[in-house]
Amino acid sequence: MKALQLIKYGEIKDSLAFNEVSKPIIQATDVLIEVRAAAINPIDKSIVLGNLQSLLPIPFPSTVAYDLSGTVVEKGDDVSNFEVGDLVYSRVPQEQMGTIAEYVAVNSMAVSKKPGNITFEEAAGLPLAGLTALQSLEYAGIKENDSVLIHAGSGGVGSFAIQYAKSKGAYVLTTTSTNNVNWVKELGADRVIDYKTEDYRSIVRDVDIVFDTLGQNYTLEAFEVVKQDGKVISIVGPLDEASAASFGIPDYKLPEELAKLSNDKNAEYKFIFMHPNGQHLSEIKSLIEDEKIKPIIDTVYSFNESVEAFTHLASGRAKGKIVIKIA
Amino acid sequence: MEELINKIKSSITLSSKAEEYLFSISKEKTVPKGEVLIRQGQAVKKTYFVTNGCLRSYCIDKDGKEHTLQFAIKEWWISDFIAIYNNELATLTVECITDSTIIEFNAKELDGIHSLYPEFEAFQRKNLERHVVSLHKRILNQLQLTAQERYDLFLEQYPDIEQYTPNYHIASYLGITQQSLSRIRAEKVNK
Repeated sequence: MKALQLIKYGEIKDSLAFNEVSKPIIQATDVLIEVRAAAINPIDKSIVLGNLQSLLPIPFPSTVAYDLSGTVVEKGDDVSNFEVGDLVYSRVPQEQMGTIAEYVAVNSMAVSKKPGNITFEEAAGLPLAGLTALQSLEYAGIKENDSVLIHAGSGGVGSFAIQYAKSKGAYVLTTTSTNNVNWVKELGADRVIDYKTEDYRSIVRDVDIVFDTLGQNYTLEAFEVVKQDGKVISIVGPLDEASAASFGIPDYKLPEELAKLSNDKNAEYKFIFMHPNGQHLSEIKSLIEDEKIKPIIDTVYSFNESVEAFTHLASGRAKGKIVIKIA
Repeated sequence: MEELINKIKSSITLSSKAEEYLFSISKEKTVPKGEVLIRQGQAVKKTYFVTNGCLRSYCIDKDGKEHTLQFAIKEWWISDFIAIYNNELATLTVECITDSTIIEFNAKELDGIHSLYPEFEAFQRKNLERHVVSLHKRILNQLQLTAQERYDLFLEQYPDIEQYTPNYHIASYLGITQQSLSRIRAEKVNK
């Protein structure tokens, strides 16, 4: 079968190639999915460029990407929650990475039936960004009337997080650039801050939750705008101590400045590393079917145009998801 | 099973032997919400009579979106009749949208029952007539009524359905978008 593979780290055009590979063989807990659409995320670009090689070393060649939608065509002996013919979507586990391919074997625990009211292309764009947003805001314990600042509201994670926070009844503030203000407002954000003309730090005060999707100085600044006893959740900032321990770094200490800011406000800092979870995808399925959340697609590329899709992703200009139609 | 026997007896005289045979080719089952009884692309061997709950038949288009053909509530029949009569693989999926009680029939045996017990011929013809009338009405309503009128008729036909089925099932049955359905509902509330 045909698959898009990473053959070395480096520039997108030199590092990705179409190869003929064998169809995967499933384990007892896996389903074999005939892929209809795959989607790419910033992590896929970082992997190709080699930026994550110390954390996630990838053997060459490896099929790339994590998000997919498709049809179950085979199931392992221990799989009871899916049948051949089910339409599904998934963010596949790290060890099963490689969704830009005709078939993918996936642990059924990471799979959910896809929402019935959207297309394969729309469904493929949801898992990684949706799980990241859901798991982050769920950790923060988001509830009705909470105020939450979500950075980068036009990104894949940000646009999902705005809609998810609104579905929980929260008051949502978000940052974006001038060109994106209108469509981000349409997602339901209560206050859209145009970072090109406004300083969010003079607008946002004492929010219950800051969802940091940008990192660097934004992680530190979060403690200026979060309330006493609030929560700062980051998907790009430094690891927290518990996360570091789970990554096998036992003596890790939170960077000094961050620890001080967190202590001064008694505001928890938490790093969230998204984990594949079929149950969470089922929750997202219900939110999509009830139209509490709408999938947002920037462009759908054909399988043959997968490398162009990566170039588009690398430009950082996508408004919504970049999807690859496989079949 | 009693509901079905009573329904049959209301239109034909049923001999005890025919009643026995009907029992022998059927099985009463309780099926949980979400259970798929017929799956698009697979062989179809069964026909179902609903005694309680609600089932839905739908097709999935080439892009993966669902389109609802029928809801079956108490005393309705449901299956993929295209597959059964044309001897094809299923073009529809049939699923339970609530916990339901159904009577499952082997479709071929049920279809051939009149050759053993001719009294069933009248019952089957009546069933088919009802089915044709219902389909024609559905097509005509789709052609000539507004979305609002179709929604009103739908609620008359399935009074409690909104309590247990997602909006997108209803929108796809009516052939409208979920946004249009929300708008129609809002207009009804504001009237």
